[in-house]
Amino acid sequence: MTEFPLKLWGHYVRLTARWPSIGSLAPFLPVIAAWWIVTELQIFPRVFLPGPGEVVRSFGSLVYTGILPEYLQDSLVRLVVGAFWGVAIGVPLGILIGLSPRAHSALWPPLLFFQAIGDIAWLPILVIWFGYGLVTVTVVIVYTVIFPVIINTVLGVRSIPITLHRAALSLGASRARMIWEVILPGALPNIMTGMRNGLGYGWRALIATEIIVGTSGIGFMMFDARRAGSVVEILLGMIILGILWYIVDSWILAPVERATGQRWGLVTR
Amino acid sequence: MKDLVIRNLSKTYFDAYAGTQVTAVRDISLSVAEGDFISIVGPSGCGKSTILNMIAGFIPHSSGEILVGGKPVKGPGRDRGVVFQSFALFPWRTVLENVAFGPKMRGVGRAEREKIAHEYLALAKLSEAAGRYPNELSGGMQQRVGVVRALANEPDVLLMDEPFASVDAQTRMTLQEELTRIWEAKRPTVIFITHDVAEAVFLANRVVALSKGRVLDEIAVDLPRPRVWDELNEDDRFKSMTGRVLQLVRSA
Repeated sequence: MTEFPLKLWGHYVRLTARWPSIGSLAPFLPVIAAWWIVTELQIFPRVFLPGPGEVVRSFGSLVYTGILPEYLQDSLVRLVVGAFWGVAIGVPLGILIGLSPRAHSALWPPLLFFQAIGDIAWLPILVIWFGYGLVTVTVVIVYTVIFPVIINTVLGVRSIPITLHRAALSLGASRARMIWEVILPGALPNIMTGMRNGLGYGWRALIATEIIVGTSGIGFMMFDARRAGSVVEILLGMIILGILWYIVDSWILAPVERATGQRWGLVTR
Repeated sequence: MKDLVIRNLSKTYFDAYAGTQVTAVRDISLSVAEGDFISIVGPSGCGKSTILNMIAGFIPHSSGEILVGGKPVKGPGRDRGVVFQSFALFPWRTVLENVAFGPKMRGVGRAEREKIAHEYLALAKLSEAAGRYPNELSGGMQQRVGVVRALANEPDVLLMDEPFASVDAQTRMTLQEELTRIWEAKRPTVIFITHDVAEAVFLANRVVALSKGRVLDEIAVDLPRPRVWDELNEDDRFKSMTGRVLQLVRSA
């Protein structure tokens, strides 16, 4: 009798080895099953908690009408634009603060001060300054992304062993070249961590911002659905947020990390 | 390759916690001819690494002068190659790219600098490892890369700071023999820092014994080359020489 489960397990191992995406989907099966059972048993009224089937149908119709693809694109573009500027400003600033004690003593205290004023706390004044538009959304995301990026970049720059600086200098590297040849690659694993955190926070801040100031986007869709009393669309929005983040992390961020820090032995697996 | 002259070199610094002036190196004079190999040996805290860091230009000296080929040392530069105890290879560069780093910094084109790197890797029997990352190599292999990376930049002086202290005893003996072989092939001017008396005598033409920041004595090593551990282990002159240096270092 014990052979059957073992055989089944063997099939599962071979299957996930061939299609790793099945392995990452498997943990969700019990959650979906439990959700389905709860809704089928009618423990809560259908209007409050729709089942998986209704959410899938709602997904189909929103894709068909073109609303979902459009909103998704709006949200992703906002995130990419915000993240780009957050990284483009944050990494150079982090390197400056990490390398120069003077820059550190001048910029670190205000950095901590502004970090404490959460992204959402800026919304009231940003709406007054820039109105309900893309500028406000972008500022919030840049603001959210930039702090983890700066702080982790500083950490990365400072954790480069002094012997690597010395080795490069005694091999004839100029101070300017050090940044490209030693500082940037040496700090890269930490910069990646910063980007990962920053994007994660940024994604959340984006949804919150869309709920408050948005005219489109996934966050707006969810809030709009609340007004219309459509719990199905709210659930759909939540599920899309989770799936999107999983894709960004495991298809973009994780492979980059494997190819750099892990390959170089700077990050343990 | 050029000669190295050190005159009345001292290093003092202010210890802020103890609130006192500390002298790490006291009035040292030394001259190393072009193509010579000297070892500086002494217990930890005797100031030997401080001397090397001052020659490399990593830390400023308090008084005296350091001349490489007649020119005073001001900061680090590619005329002085350094081999570190912790290897200090760039983890994000392959072995080949590590060795080609110096030539790259002085503007040598890709094809030419890779040719140079391959040539030096072959000298250290590392050709197989060219495409690998330092992290994928054993400690002994990493330090072979460290040595040829410094040599491939053709420095006037090669500074070695306890380079073999962090590899196992068997590998260390192999590395020491290889270093003497490479030195005979390329004849760089070498300053070798170590706390291991046998290592100092095995490698060098001259051993400088150091204690508490002062030079105790200099001992010429006129053992024949090529030097091999299997022969020298039983050699009476080698034994008496290491005995003398050991006594000198321990008595101070």
